[in-house]
Amino acid sequence: MPPSSDMATRPSALGRLFRRNETALALCLLLLIAVFGVLSDSFLTTRNMTNVLGQAALPLIAATGLALVVIAGEIDVSIGSLFGAVALPLIVVMNVTGSFALGSAAALVFAFAVGAVNGWLVAYVRLNSLIVTLGMLFVLRGLIYLYTGQRAIPDDAMLETFYQIGNGRFLRTLPYPALIAAAVLAVFLWILRYRRFGRQIIAVGGSPEVARLAGYDVARVKFATFVIAALLTAIAGIIMASRQGSAVHVTGIGFEFQVVAAVVLGGVSLAGGIGSLWGVALGVLILAFLANGLGQLNLPTEWQLVITGIIIIAAVTLDESRRRKR
Amino acid sequence: MAEAPALDMAGIGKRFPGVVALDDVHLRLAPGKVHALMGENGAGKSTLIKILAGVYRPDTGTIRIAGEQVTLQSPRDALARGIKVVFQEIALIEEFTVAENVFLGEYPVGGAGSIRWDRIRADAAALFDRIGFGVDPAARVRDLPMSQQQMVEIARALAHDARIVVMDEPTSSLTPAEVEQLFAVIRRLTSLGIAVLYVSHKLDEIFAIADTVTVLRDGRHISTRPRSEHSEDSLIHDMIGRRIEALYPRTRGPATDRDILRVENLSAPSGLKNISFHARAGEVVGFFGLMGAGRTELAKAIVGFDPLRAGRITVDGRPLAPHDTATGVALGIGLLTEDRKREGLMLDLPVVQNATLAALGKWARGPFVDFAAERRATQDYVDRFNIRTPSLDQPVRLLSGGNQQKVLIARWLMRGLKVIVVDEPTRGIDVGAKSEIFALIDELAGAGLAVVMMTSEMSELLGLSDRIMVMAGGRITAEFPVATATQEAILNAAIV
Repeated sequence: MPPSSDMATRPSALGRLFRRNETALALCLLLLIAVFGVLSDSFLTTRNMTNVLGQAALPLIAATGLALVVIAGEIDVSIGSLFGAVALPLIVVMNVTGSFALGSAAALVFAFAVGAVNGWLVAYVRLNSLIVTLGMLFVLRGLIYLYTGQRAIPDDAMLETFYQIGNGRFLRTLPYPALIAAAVLAVFLWILRYRRFGRQIIAVGGSPEVARLAGYDVARVKFATFVIAALLTAIAGIIMASRQGSAVHVTGIGFEFQVVAAVVLGGVSLAGGIGSLWGVALGVLILAFLANGLGQLNLPTEWQLVITGIIIIAAVTLDESRRRKR
Repeated sequence: MAEAPALDMAGIGKRFPGVVALDDVHLRLAPGKVHALMGENGAGKSTLIKILAGVYRPDTGTIRIAGEQVTLQSPRDALARGIKVVFQEIALIEEFTVAENVFLGEYPVGGAGSIRWDRIRADAAALFDRIGFGVDPAARVRDLPMSQQQMVEIARALAHDARIVVMDEPTSSLTPAEVEQLFAVIRRLTSLGIAVLYVSHKLDEIFAIADTVTVLRDGRHISTRPRSEHSEDSLIHDMIGRRIEALYPRTRGPATDRDILRVENLSAPSGLKNISFHARAGEVVGFFGLMGAGRTELAKAIVGFDPLRAGRITVDGRPLAPHDTATGVALGIGLLTEDRKREGLMLDLPVVQNATLAALGKWARGPFVDFAAERRATQDYVDRFNIRTPSLDQPVRLLSGGNQQKVLIARWLMRGLKVIVVDEPTRGIDVGAKSEIFALIDELAGAGLAVVMMTSEMSELLGLSDRIMVMAGGRITAEFPVATATQEAILNAAIV
């Protein structure tokens, strides 16, 4: 093989950097921050910036889990209801036992069960994941309404740790949720790169046949991604309950689409096998800064929805056309 | 012999519903040798390979690897026992790098179980050096040409310490220079004592690389001989046998003089280059070509399924709009696809709806369909073609391949075609039903249709065609009237 053909198939390091989706997203994010910084006096303040990071934390934690599911070639839309539902075992157990640890454990066990049912139906019974998790979305929301009688259940234990986890700030600046989200992101970036399980997730989504030939247990990998997504959603849900100081029956309605939007914006292919968590993090941040910036400009939330929708469609269109050019 | 064969398969049998794919087949591979497996489509080559790959389990027979009897439970199992099959469909993760694909499933890990990327890169580079294979281990597989992807698969076999490497039509998408490179790699494999099973129907390659040749036909073992004892004629004879006349009873008269289909200077993005030919009423024009010659591409281009770059197609003097099947069908040209299940049938719908799909307007009563008339018309064809189905309401999925094909032919006849393009009409159809399909094609031409037949089967080509066109690399390389065509001349033109 002459070296020239190698040159042709391999762009320079800089070229590759610019061709990367993450680079484009990062530039987009910086541009967004610059524009809002110019347009609004209150946007570029430390207080506002850290606020946005705190707001982005919950979707980021859930999006990390969902991204794994999507990279493995499936989808999970039940996370919206689960996000709200975990507050029930959490608050109820805390109210009875007075222990945040026990409450969290109850929430995580509940989420594990939901993720396991989703994963079992999709990976082993081989049902369509959109349908299964859509069904789960309804089931969980219905159960929330039945249990709460459509009222919020207040936190009577009033534990300091529980309050701090959603509302506290590290060194009085950085919200704890942002730190938790960063830690979750770091762990899963590492897993996707350096653990066999992570490579298996990508391989399973890229080509289930090839993955099976390589000896991977495709069903088990998919099952695991659903469980992880549910557990991460539960962590986000616990933080949310802390912020709300109660289990609110309407929490999480539409959350699933906010998260799906961020994942897709981050360049994860709904067909599976393609995507990076850096991209997902940037996708979440772009949507968070966009919502915050438009809010600072006093644009009504209706317009925020319209603009967010257009940006998502534009991003996917751009990404797709770039992909077809290859 | 002192040394046990690398692989010894004996008495292998495999049946699928309605088809005996393999019957008492045996195969013995010696270490460090290239063994060619030959046969026409449907001879049983793929089934045998899939058994070796652990994809299928044989109904009968034994498999021994280096003297030890084994059952190959799964692809993973086959790989673990040192069998690596390189399928035509490349089995790599496109998003991963070359190096990662080589070690897929067996990543080197450090103490804490973390993947050692430095070792993956270094080991891949060292392996490529050893087999003289100049691909950048850090390149993404997606960005590589097909030939290099294939090399990556072979490298993967070596990384897994394979003792038996099976290659399924490995040169189908390679240029001559790349074929040379592949042969060099194969020689490297044999020098390492690896047994290579080389599956192909390209005679020149067999004579260039093989030590021994086994021929299958209709699922049976026909011969195993050293290459040196074979001539092209003897190989072709083994592959095809003396059965052409018996299988192809000709009932139609000679073709008319009336051109129905004219194709002029056709070029297409799919790789077709400047193709011109015509087909007359009552004529079967057979197109032969090896894998990748452009037969299916041509079939899809003429019926308007694929876009064109240049050229003109007319049916009865009226031009077809390019890349538009609707006008094609309206002008009377239809495609009997090679991929029945994906492009031909709606598998879960009943026979009647599959049969009347293209001609439903015929039974329209105002905005409604006259179901009774639709069923009567379908029943006519079921009787005429001897379509074996318990009822018109049977989902076509449950019919045998031959009967499915007849349903599709009925679909086009109901539409009233002038030209029918048939692509590999007997693929996946067992021998008995083949002759019925041949009789139907003969009947179509006899009824005045122009038939354009794409085939990779020599016997089919010679048995059915009036005129033979040979394709290679997207071009027509030769034309013969069937009376003067010889297998050798046809193959020579196909190999160009």
